[in-house]
Amino acid sequence: MSGSIILRSCARFSVPFTIPTKRRVLCSAVLQRYMSSKIPAMSYPNKENTSTPEQLGLDGWKITMKSSVQEEDVSTVSSNKDEDPLAAIRELVEMWRLLGKEVPEHISEEELKTAMECVSKSSKKKYLKYLYIKEKKKKAKQIKKEMKAATREKAVKEQLLETAKEDKQQNFLFLRLWDRNMDIAMGWKGAQAMQFGQPLVFDMDYDNYMKPKELQNTVSQLLESEGWNRRDVDPFHLYFCNLKTDGAYHKELVKRYGEKWDKLLLTATEKSHVDLFPKDSIIYLTADSPKVMTTFKHDKIYIVGSFVDKTMQTGTSLAKAKRLKLATECLPLDKYLQWDTGTKNLTLDQMIRILLCLKNTGSWEEALKFVPRRKHTGYMEISQHSQEFVNRLKNSKTFNSFPKGSLHTQKRWRK
Amino acid sequence: MMTFCFAGIRNFSKLWKSNPYLGLSPGHSYLSLFFKDCYGVGNQQKWFSLKAVSAQNTKAGNLLIAKARYFRKGDEGSNKQVSSDSHLFAAGAAKKRSQMNPHKEDHALPPVRNTIQLPTKPLNSQEWDKLKEDFKGKTNFESWIILQMAHSHSSIDVAKSLLSWVAAKNNGIVGYDLLVRYLYLCIFHKQTSEVIDVYEIMKARYKRLEPEGYTLLIQGLIHSDRWKEALLLLEDIKKVMVPSRRNYNDCIEGALLHQDVNLAWSLYQELLDYDLIPTLKTLKTFFDFGKNIKDDQYSNKLLDILLYLRDNHLYPEESFAHSIKTWFESVPGEQWKGQFTTVKKSGHCLGCGKTIESNHLSPEEYEFLKGKIMRDVIDGGDQYKKTTPQELERFQNFVKCCPPFDIVIDGLNVAKTFPKARESQVLLNVVSQLAKQNLQLLVLGRKHMLTQHSKWRKDEMKKVQQQASCFFADNISEDDPFLLYATLHSGNHCRFITKDLMRDHKACLRDAKTQRLFFKWQQGHQLAITRRFEGSKLTFQHIPSYDTVVQTTGDSWHIPYDEDMVERYSYEVPTKWLCLHRKT
Repeated sequence: MSGSIILRSCARFSVPFTIPTKRRVLCSAVLQRYMSSKIPAMSYPNKENTSTPEQLGLDGWKITMKSSVQEEDVSTVSSNKDEDPLAAIRELVEMWRLLGKEVPEHISEEELKTAMECVSKSSKKKYLKYLYIKEKKKKAKQIKKEMKAATREKAVKEQLLETAKEDKQQNFLFLRLWDRNMDIAMGWKGAQAMQFGQPLVFDMDYDNYMKPKELQNTVSQLLESEGWNRRDVDPFHLYFCNLKTDGAYHKELVKRYGEKWDKLLLTATEKSHVDLFPKDSIIYLTADSPKVMTTFKHDKIYIVGSFVDKTMQTGTSLAKAKRLKLATECLPLDKYLQWDTGTKNLTLDQMIRILLCLKNTGSWEEALKFVPRRKHTGYMEISQHSQEFVNRLKNSKTFNSFPKGSLHTQKRWRK
Repeated sequence: MMTFCFAGIRNFSKLWKSNPYLGLSPGHSYLSLFFKDCYGVGNQQKWFSLKAVSAQNTKAGNLLIAKARYFRKGDEGSNKQVSSDSHLFAAGAAKKRSQMNPHKEDHALPPVRNTIQLPTKPLNSQEWDKLKEDFKGKTNFESWIILQMAHSHSSIDVAKSLLSWVAAKNNGIVGYDLLVRYLYLCIFHKQTSEVIDVYEIMKARYKRLEPEGYTLLIQGLIHSDRWKEALLLLEDIKKVMVPSRRNYNDCIEGALLHQDVNLAWSLYQELLDYDLIPTLKTLKTFFDFGKNIKDDQYSNKLLDILLYLRDNHLYPEESFAHSIKTWFESVPGEQWKGQFTTVKKSGHCLGCGKTIESNHLSPEEYEFLKGKIMRDVIDGGDQYKKTTPQELERFQNFVKCCPPFDIVIDGLNVAKTFPKARESQVLLNVVSQLAKQNLQLLVLGRKHMLTQHSKWRKDEMKKVQQQASCFFADNISEDDPFLLYATLHSGNHCRFITKDLMRDHKACLRDAKTQRLFFKWQQGHQLAITRRFEGSKLTFQHIPSYDTVVQTTGDSWHIPYDEDMVERYSYEVPTKWLCLHRKT
């Protein structure tokens, strides 16, 4: 449907690149006539570089550019009338593409409308660039898919030949049903977690702080978190609290999960986390918290705000926790990592992986491996060093023979 | 040497953690001494932390030493204080402050260039072909080379030869991007006839262009006889988006160039209706053109422009100020006299001796600002973000029952002014010096200041509380909004002490008008400590008592302007003035 529209309105602009053969002959004929009449040097390039700049015929291209135009006018007249703003935007996008700007090649009616509604020029450009990147990725994926299909076909052919050669019966213990078995096993584990697992709450009360784009990102992260949780040895019992039925969140989640939504092994509820759990066992995790998390407690209920904040609304989740008088904690990122760039707000899936790891091993070094590597330059070597240092102090017999002054400085260091 | 190292570093534990042998490394102590005599006491910390990052990297260390040497050579003069006559918001003050604490600058490597020599004279086809063979790059050769030519402003003959080569290769067709770049070159070299040629081609070939093409065409056409067509192009832009202020500038310039004054003014009105801020160049054009026009209506419009500058706190550039001066002096029968001056601290113009407008807010403005600060900065839709409702109530009761204050002190900011001294001691010093002058003081802080700590001693805090009223907010609350409100609540005479420029709080205010009001109030009420060393007497940065804004008394105009050589930050105001008055 949209394809035909594109074709129609693009026809004009593709002219420079795909000239019908008839006209191409004409153009070159005009050019040649012009060239040969004025500067023989150009039409016979084999001759020596005798031509001076004046003889180069610097204005020749203008004539052909103009002359090829007259014939086109016929086609322009018909489309000249429509003052449809959508068409204007479409043409704008097309011209931007000719200029080498990052805009999509094909654009649907709906996307055009969105582009038109963008208030400023920069927001238009931003949106078009987003579409451009999306289109590029899609194309690359398509090509990859085709290549894979081709190689698979080839492999199948070869295999057929091989199997034809040696058609031998083999003994196997299992039928090949791994994926399904995995799913079932994870289902069992999930059911177990529903009964006995430690709760982990995602607070969904942020839908009015987010733009549609951020909300989509949040839902993607939620999906990924749920996936990580499902695959773990000892999953959390996930709660989606404050999830309003038919709210923006709910709609998006149902859209993404499809039929599976009703079969997910987690608790989705409209109730708030303070209604479900005793207040004093709740810990709200937020990067703005003044209190640093030291250990993972197995009897507490951790809450993660499902909130992607691209507009710097600092302190939103802390304000929420303050309002409900809940304890807050933040990850000890500064204590263990040499932070370099980026915010300390981690994505939801990184959070759940860190929490899962802490739950299973209790080691911060292990857990903080899930912090993106680009954000920090390395681990603080404190625990190791101080451990060694203390050990050495304990073991060494010279412990008591340290001069007083140096002991004093040690103390100050430890602080 | 070693003792110095230990004393100088506050976050020593951290340093030690990242590199346990840092303190012992001879290279490091060398560096620390080096920086000490280089920058005085205030800045060691910065260099230490820098050093800590690259401690294990000897190469980086050497670089640092080299850099320090460089700074020592280059910055000997600028190492002194911000001169005392410039206030906190004077143009260039931030720049000077930043020079006092030099930061490590990231030297980005220049991007790797394609090493093709741009042709200086027109080439023929074979030569272009050959050049194309030499080119190794991802993009297509033609677009790349024309972009380079546009960058280096090659002559249009060279560009033409490129286009004809492309056309010959391509059945006489030249791509849109090449045409646009060529157009740019034509405009740069002011080749109006070429511009018109390209315009004809574009008009014939494409139904609509995009903004870049339109902008260039408008820019080129206004100098020709066909300048009216530029207005049609402007209409074309409007169909897809709001034209830029530069488009309007070009059209207005074209109209004035061809003596169509009414059109120019209606375009100007249109520009304002779109809520665009006109470029200063546009306004200057009106003034420049006004010299030759003796027309009351036109003069009144120019005066309207000056009032527009006033309302929007815009400041003309130096050349624009000259234009204004020339125009005023050319008005027949009025005998204006203009001079470039400065304004004395007392708020008197050095040129004519008149008093510049005071920066006191009118009572209505004051109430308005107070309400806005309460609503947008402290409350901001969610009281829990910056404070809690309980705390807010506690604070409001506190402010209500206390007598109006003379000075409100940001305790934490003041205490951290001198990193070497104990924080409670600094605060006590400041408070007791001010208390001696019989001023009603309010110290704002956080609760953690009251707990015994190596930096906060209880006895000193007790003394502070004896000499001043204190309000301590929760540790996770913000204290700045309280500071602003307490100052505003106490009345116009009340000042506040902090070095914080309060830009984040200014940003909380919704509209530009309130922000300007806030800034005006802030300029007149903020005290910042300038004293460099702890122990000497307390001195504050000078507070201007006048408002830096375009102003008139009917028979005089005072117009602050930006000097060409001074870099002014957005939150600073110019220091130079154009003083105009009538001879009587």
